[in-house]
Amino acid sequence: MWQQLFMQCLNGLGVAGILVIAAAGLAIIFGVAGVINMAHGQFIMVGAYTAALVDELGGNMFMSIPIAFVVVALLGLIVERGVIQWIYDRPLETLLATWGVGIILEVTMKFIFGTLGRKVDWPDLLDGSIRIFARPPHFPYYRVFHVVLAIVILAVTFYILYRTRFGLKVRTVRRNRSMASCLGIDTAKIDMLIFMYGSGLAGIAGAVIAPIKAATIDMGFSYSVNSYMVIVLGGVGNLLGIPTGSFLIGEAETLLAFRYNTVIGQLLVFIAIVIAIRVFPRGIFGYQERR
Amino acid sequence: MTINLAGGGSTPRKVRRARLIPIWALILGAFVLSLIGTSPHYIGSDSYVVGLIGKFLCFAIFALSIDLIWGFTGILSLGQAVYFGIGAYMVALSMKLNYTLENATRYGSNIPDFMEWNGLTEVPAFMAPLLSTPVAVALALAIPTLLAFIFGVITFKRHIYGVYCAVITLAEALILERFIVEYQAYTGGFNGITDYSNLRGAPFLWVIIAVTVVCLIGARALTHSRIGTVLKSIRDNDVRAEFMGYNVANYRIFVFCVSAFMAAGAGAMYAAWVGIVSFLDAGPMFSVEGVIWTAVGGRATLIGPFIGTFLVRGLEFVLSSSAWLSWLSEYWQFFMGALFIAVVLWIPDGIVGTIGNWLRKRGTGTLSQIRDDQDRLAHDRQRDWDPAGGTKPGKDPV
Repeated sequence: MWQQLFMQCLNGLGVAGILVIAAAGLAIIFGVAGVINMAHGQFIMVGAYTAALVDELGGNMFMSIPIAFVVVALLGLIVERGVIQWIYDRPLETLLATWGVGIILEVTMKFIFGTLGRKVDWPDLLDGSIRIFARPPHFPYYRVFHVVLAIVILAVTFYILYRTRFGLKVRTVRRNRSMASCLGIDTAKIDMLIFMYGSGLAGIAGAVIAPIKAATIDMGFSYSVNSYMVIVLGGVGNLLGIPTGSFLIGEAETLLAFRYNTVIGQLLVFIAIVIAIRVFPRGIFGYQERR
Repeated sequence: MTINLAGGGSTPRKVRRARLIPIWALILGAFVLSLIGTSPHYIGSDSYVVGLIGKFLCFAIFALSIDLIWGFTGILSLGQAVYFGIGAYMVALSMKLNYTLENATRYGSNIPDFMEWNGLTEVPAFMAPLLSTPVAVALALAIPTLLAFIFGVITFKRHIYGVYCAVITLAEALILERFIVEYQAYTGGFNGITDYSNLRGAPFLWVIIAVTVVCLIGARALTHSRIGTVLKSIRDNDVRAEFMGYNVANYRIFVFCVSAFMAAGAGAMYAAWVGIVSFLDAGPMFSVEGVIWTAVGGRATLIGPFIGTFLVRGLEFVLSSSAWLSWLSEYWQFFMGALFIAVVLWIPDGIVGTIGNWLRKRGTGTLSQIRDDQDRLAHDRQRDWDPAGGTKPGKDPV
């Protein structure tokens, strides 16, 4: 019993890893530009299909991660320049417009790849599992990989935001947009680059998710809703909000799903989040706006 | 000597209030409604089009409920279908239970087929109240309103709105959808609730029309009252509204409950009219569709949601039914996506709003608009003359 519980905790850590990868892009875009990309789940889906294509052409997942990053970042560039660029000042309507983008992406991908899902193989390196206890629920390598990748992505993002000149500009823009603009920072360009980076992270999430669940047209939505919950719970005040929110949601959902079932788990987590935002209206690591 | 703070001893200027129902709306509305209401008689009570009209009216009330919170108060809820869905499911369950009491299923028991499939032998005790129709209707209206109240108290009291509120309500809808699919012994699961004797035809169509009229008049009364003015000011600048001394959170909660009540009513009628309720009617996709109908018709207008709903759903029906356009219906989803983007980018005011703006700009608006404009001009002129040292009209202050 205790062994199983321990294993579920570890599994929850793996789920949290995926959540971090999926939510990081969204959180960065929301934190800097103040818009939420409703097509984020579909971006993840596009990343997964990119991974499926790479897989069919004989590559493996380690190749598909950078390729998916680039492909989805370019997609993000198109969406940002084509649609979101004009409506940064109307965040609520951005939700609707990007929802439309999501629908168009789904239809297009269905047109290209058909309704059947694509299976993606794991690289041989990640086959197998760590045997912590003698009896079967072992800890598979791919869960370890998710956690490691999540940490790497957070570290890279931290480096970009806090240790480079570009990151300095990004932080300036999010602190005071008009002042940053007065100082000669091209805020529109910062928004665009951040949107590209965030979208690219969605692509990575897709490439990582594709092997555990096949690439399907409607795979993205539940991941994107979970990512929104991570943002709501964790907050976008600083980078710590993403892992905190992901950890809490991932562990809670896994353990509750183990105890009851998936739907009850999600329902209880949702109720817990709604109660939690009574205490932290802008998330645990919320950003207090200075007026 | 007394100092008159009220302004010069003259009686305060009377503010001309808008009529509850403008004459032109009364005539036009009566015409349209009688046209719709008599439609069963000349195209047949069972015809598909009559079914569509009743369905669209329910959808339009749903869109109106979204318009109340989004267009007039500025709360974007992407989970309004939760209230619609709960209302619909309550009524559908009630009708299904009553139907199977009289018509036994294929295997001879008197419980709904989906319960039978899932191994239940009798109606669960917590569903027994639904057997009585008035109780079912009351629950269909009360539960969503209560839910909206709880949700509103939790979020709006803590200044959670805007994007956060939209995202949380979206998650709410997704979870309800999954809940319905998972607990199929009680909800019919993936198949939804079907096969009950729904109320088709002219008498119930008139009920729907009557509710529609009540909702429209109620919405107009609400938005043209003092409360409506406060709601609009909250939409335009909630911080200032708060500084004016209004309890912004309570106004938001109130309008959220009204809207949930309206959506629940629409859902209840929808279930009774259409005769099939599925998890899709409570899901995120349907919620967002309702928002887009409102946006197409025109937010912050009362007739906009109706026009938007009938236009978008009507177009879908025309595309899928006509022979030489049916190839287009395969791309319907694509068209919907493009519509989302196009409405937000190019016609943010919707059809009614854009036409209204255009008329106003042309200066040849409807008579009441011209009168309003003249009133405002006269009022401004008076204010310019009144204070000592004020600028005189006709001269540019250089």
